[in-house]
Amino acid sequence: MTLPVEKARAWVETTGGIVGVLLLVQFVTGVLLAFYYVPSVDHAYTTVSYVEKVVSSGAWVRSLHHYGSQWLSFFVFLHVIRLFLSRAYVTNRIQWIVGILLLGFVMAAGGTGYSLPWDARAFFSTRIAEGLMAGLPVAGRMARLWLLGGSDISTITLSRFFALHVLVIPAFVIAVVIWRVFRSNLAENFGPRHAIAGGVVFLLLALWCLKYRAPLGPSVVDVTADYLPRPGAQFLWLYQSLKYLPGGLGSLAGVALPGLVLLVLVLLPWLKKQRLIGRSILGVGLVLVVVMTTASYLSDRRDPQTWKQLSRQAAQEEAWRREQFKPATMTLTASTTTGSVGPPVLYTKFCANCHGPNGEGARQGRLNFPPLLDVSTKPRRTVDDIVGLLKNPPGYGLQPPMRSFSDKLTDEQMKEIGEWIVKLKR
Amino acid sequence: MDHERSRRSFLKLFPLGILAGVFASMGGAAFRFLRPKLSAATESWLNVASVSELTGAQPLARKIVAEHIAGWAIATEEHNVFVLPAKNNQVLSAVCPHEGCEVAWDQNTNRFSCPCHESYFAADGARISGPAPRGLDPLPMRVQDGKLQVQYVAKEQATRA
Repeated sequence: MTLPVEKARAWVETTGGIVGVLLLVQFVTGVLLAFYYVPSVDHAYTTVSYVEKVVSSGAWVRSLHHYGSQWLSFFVFLHVIRLFLSRAYVTNRIQWIVGILLLGFVMAAGGTGYSLPWDARAFFSTRIAEGLMAGLPVAGRMARLWLLGGSDISTITLSRFFALHVLVIPAFVIAVVIWRVFRSNLAENFGPRHAIAGGVVFLLLALWCLKYRAPLGPSVVDVTADYLPRPGAQFLWLYQSLKYLPGGLGSLAGVALPGLVLLVLVLLPWLKKQRLIGRSILGVGLVLVVVMTTASYLSDRRDPQTWKQLSRQAAQEEAWRREQFKPATMTLTASTTTGSVGPPVLYTKFCANCHGPNGEGARQGRLNFPPLLDVSTKPRRTVDDIVGLLKNPPGYGLQPPMRSFSDKLTDEQMKEIGEWIVKLKR
Repeated sequence: MDHERSRRSFLKLFPLGILAGVFASMGGAAFRFLRPKLSAATESWLNVASVSELTGAQPLARKIVAEHIAGWAIATEEHNVFVLPAKNNQVLSAVCPHEGCEVAWDQNTNRFSCPCHESYFAADGARISGPAPRGLDPLPMRVQDGKLQVQYVAKEQATRA
């Protein structure tokens, strides 16, 4: 006979299984999104919109990735608290360290992921990351430059966030998960209860994502000054805290302090007074997260101006979703005009014999006829120069067999040929 | 005893079954998500040249710019074609029907040659020699207001036709 308390405890101990299933969801949906996403400021928003509006199951997959990351943060946090309460930092150090590291990586993945759609929310989130880095003492200036990849937010910044989000952080996650699986016998821990808990949470997430779409703000180009960006649920505590803290302190609270806390927690198994340290850190952390998250919801609700604007934004997003997807235009040619771009007929008649049907040049016996491609990059080869040259080749330093065409072509015809030739590119 | 054993094996299979369910639902979405989108054939007519300027016995090289809708992008791409004034202004795609390289007109030998695998075609596009399975593909064409116009057909579609 097992006591009800023990049964309940067995269920509480399934947080690891839930985290495992949610990690799996993040990896699968992340890989899927990468099949369409382009990390460049001119295409990121278009490709994310394409996934939302056109790709089958696209909105669901993106929603799974978006809300899954928030649920994952929540359950990793819960997992860490559960591990602490069961004194894993003494009994199972690897499990403890992996849990703490995962918490750090999951939050880092969330932070970098917010920039990727390059909508208004992404842009502000990138700005805030920039500000938090810049405000760090001593290394702030360098940290900001390294994060942005230059002196300003640019497409390079987006590439950096992308590389961190899809390559660097997942590699660390895989590394710690493998460490966990091989160093402590996971197969023994992973039982039916873990599977059931993970399966139930997945089902709930899947249903949630059928109902709620992942938000996508207006594109950075279309954003208006009254737009109010709001971070994902896992960052609301930080967002609210930053309202109360003056500039420099924000960087300490948002970057330095969380980093220090994670470091202390990782080292907890080797510290003295473990219980006291752990309790105070996790206790204060839990209270802070709960209080600040609630406060952020309340402050949005209570201020009528803010609430009105947020509702307007939600309505605008709904309207945007009903609009048809607008594809981006890509030019894979030198010319953008649709239709014929072939040579003028008189070029073909008089010039092509020697200079090739498309100005590529030719060789006949010992004679080498120069190509006309890129000729406009040379000095004295504007359209007017070419007209002059066709009338009087020696005047432009040319030798026979290049002859004058004054007797064959009118000025207008020469101009037409010249206008075509200056467009020729290699 | 038997009952106990079957209960154990069920307990082992159960988590696997749930994981299989998670995988299956995501796998189904993945299949739909990644399924290639076939672009509808673009029916637009592209100008090649004025009919009045198409004279002589030689094939004339021209370029057309066609729009291709590919997923989230509309790409404008340039394609080489040859007009045959000697053959009632028939328009040939420059794409070799063998592996899709672009053939060039060689005035000296009076034939088209493919730079990749040495297929040769006569001035009217008929296959002379080499690995190409057939002559150069003619494109659908018409004359509108004195302009010669074609529809661009990709090699894959031309092969199927």
